[in-house]
Amino acid sequence: MTLDNNHGDFKLQKLRDNKPNFGIILAVIFIFTAFPPVVTAIEIVVNKTASTSGYSKVDIRAIFTMQKRLWPNNKQIKVYTLPDGSSLHKEFVKKALNMLPHQIRRVWDRMTYSGTGAAPIELESEQDMIEKIATTPDSIGYLNSKPDNENIRSFEAQ
Amino acid sequence: MKTSVHLKLNKRQWLQILCRTSSILGGGWFLFEQCIMDVLVRVFPKGDERCFKLFNKLGQLLTVCLFLAFYSTRIFAESKLLPDEVQIHGFLTQGFFHTSDNNVYGQSDDGISPGLTEIGVNASYQPFSKLRFAAQGLYRRAGAVDRGSVRVDYGLADLTLFEYDSGKVGIRGGRIKNPFGLYNETRDVAFTHPTILLPQGIYFDRSRSLMLSADGGSFYAEQRTDFGDFNFKFNVGMPSSDLKEIKTIVLAKQNAQGSFDTKPAFATQLNYELNGGEYVLAVSYMDMEFDFNPAPGESLRRSTSRIQPLLFSAQYNGEKFTLTGEYEYRWNTFGNFAAFDGGKFVSESWYVEGSYRILPELQTTVRYDTFDMDISDRDGETAALLSFQKHSAFSQDWVFGLRWDITPSWMVRGEYHRVHGTAWLPQADNPDPQKGIQDWDLYALQLSFKF
Repeated sequence: MTLDNNHGDFKLQKLRDNKPNFGIILAVIFIFTAFPPVVTAIEIVVNKTASTSGYSKVDIRAIFTMQKRLWPNNKQIKVYTLPDGSSLHKEFVKKALNMLPHQIRRVWDRMTYSGTGAAPIELESEQDMIEKIATTPDSIGYLNSKPDNENIRSFEAQ
Repeated sequence: MKTSVHLKLNKRQWLQILCRTSSILGGGWFLFEQCIMDVLVRVFPKGDERCFKLFNKLGQLLTVCLFLAFYSTRIFAESKLLPDEVQIHGFLTQGFFHTSDNNVYGQSDDGISPGLTEIGVNASYQPFSKLRFAAQGLYRRAGAVDRGSVRVDYGLADLTLFEYDSGKVGIRGGRIKNPFGLYNETRDVAFTHPTILLPQGIYFDRSRSLMLSADGGSFYAEQRTDFGDFNFKFNVGMPSSDLKEIKTIVLAKQNAQGSFDTKPAFATQLNYELNGGEYVLAVSYMDMEFDFNPAPGESLRRSTSRIQPLLFSAQYNGEKFTLTGEYEYRWNTFGNFAAFDGGKFVSESWYVEGSYRILPELQTTVRYDTFDMDISDRDGETAALLSFQKHSAFSQDWVFGLRWDITPSWMVRGEYHRVHGTAWLPQADNPDPQKGIQDWDLYALQLSFKF
C-alpha cells in the first residue's frame, strides 16, 4: 500500500517537474496551422473486380492520363479522381504519377474540350471515393489509406 | 436501380446548388446585358430609342435564356443524376479590350470593348468500351467579325479499332477539330492556353473558321514507349466555307461580292511527349484549298487558292517555369494574284514564350511573336504596290501577361501588347484598310469559368 502510494507520489512529482511548456505548445499549434501536415500516405485503390498485379508506375500514369483504357480482361477501366484543390490529389499526382498537377490538368482539359477523350470523373470527397470504388466494378481511385471495406483492394505497382 | 441511387441529393447539396447558381447568374446577367446593348448600339448606330428599348428587352431575354441553359446544364452535370458513362463539361469566357489605335473585338480604340464572349458546353457518352460519342456546342461573339452565333464546334463518333498494352489505334468521324500546333484544337477554351490572345501569326483569328475543324474523318494512333509517348493524327474533311475575314487579303479587293467554296482538306500532326508532358514536341501540317466564285457582273475572275502551313512546336512544362516556342512556314497560292509570280509566296511566323509561376495559381508570361506575310517582302514594299498599307505585311508583338487561377474553376488574367505592324488585324473591325496605325498598344482583361 505504502509502497504503491509512494510510487504514485513519485510519478506525480515527475509530472509536475515536466510541466508542459505552453510556449512550445503554442509554437507547435502555430506551425500546424501555418503548415497543415502534409499527406504522405497515398493508397491507390481498386474495386475487388480489378486485377492488381503486374502493373508498373508507368502503367499507373497511363491509366490516370486516360491513355490506357482496358484491364487485362478487356473491361474498361473506370477512373475516379478528387478535385484539383485537394491536397490528397496534389500529393497523388506528384508521388504516384511523378507529374505536376498542372501537367495532368493540361492533359485532361485537352481531351475534354477537343472531343478527343474523356477525363476521369471527379468526386467531391474521400468519402465519395470510398463509396464509388466499393460499388463500381473495374474502378480505380486513390485514398489516404486503404479503408476497411471488403470491396476495396490496394493496387501496388512493381 | 442505378438511377435511384443517383437521385439521392441531400438538403446541403440542393442549397449549395441554389446559392452557387443565384450568385453566378446575377453577376453574369449584368455583364451580358452590357455586352448585348453594346452590340445593338453598334449595329444600329442611328436607331431610335423605342427600338433600342425593345431590343434591350429581347437581348435580356436571350441572355437570361442562354445563361439558364448554361447553368442548368452545369447543375445537371454536377447533380449526380447522370450515369458515369455520360460526362458534361463547359466553359464561359468574357474578354475586355482596349487599344491605343486600331480595333480588336469591337470598338476597342478609345474605349473598352467587351467584344469577346465564348460559351461552350460539351457532352461525352461512352456506351461501349470501344465506342464513344462527343459533341460540343459553342456560342461565340467576336467583335464585328462575329455578332454572336451558335454552332456545333465538334460532333464525332470515336471508334477504337484495337488497343494493346502500350498503345491504341482508332478512327473518328463527324466534325473534328484540326490538330495544329499546341493550341488549335482548344483555341476557344481560355483555360487551355496561357494568354488571352494566342500568337496571331500562327493562330490567326482571321482564318480561324478555315483552320478550326473539318467535317470528315480522322485516323489516330498512340504509342507509349520507355522513352516517351507518340501520338499521330491524320484528319481529312471539309472545312467551313465562311471565309469572309480573309476575302480582302486573298483577293486584294475590298467589298468583293462573290463567295468561297472550300475543297476537302487534310491536317496531320505527330506529337511526342516525355515524362507526362514535361517535354512536348510536335510537327503539324495542313493543306487547304478553296475556290472563289465571283458574283454575276463582278470584275474578279474565278480562281483557286491554297494554303499549306507547316508548324514545329516545342514546350517545356516545369513546376514553376514553362518555355514554349513554335515556328511556322506557310506556302500560299492566291489565285487572284496570278500576275505576281503565279500568286505564290511564303509566310513565316514564330514566337518564344516564357511563363513563370510565382505561386501555383499565379502565373506571369512574356512573349515575343513575329509574323511576315511574305518572306520576300518583309518591309511591305510589294504590299504597297497592291494598295495595302506597308505595315499590313508584318507584325511584331511583345506580350506581358498575368494569370490568376482563383479556384480550379475560375480564372482571371490580364495582358499588355506592344504591337509593331497590322498584319493580323481583323478586317471586319477595321473596315478601312488605309486607316491602320503601325505602332499600337493593346490591353486585355479576361474572366473565365469552366466546369
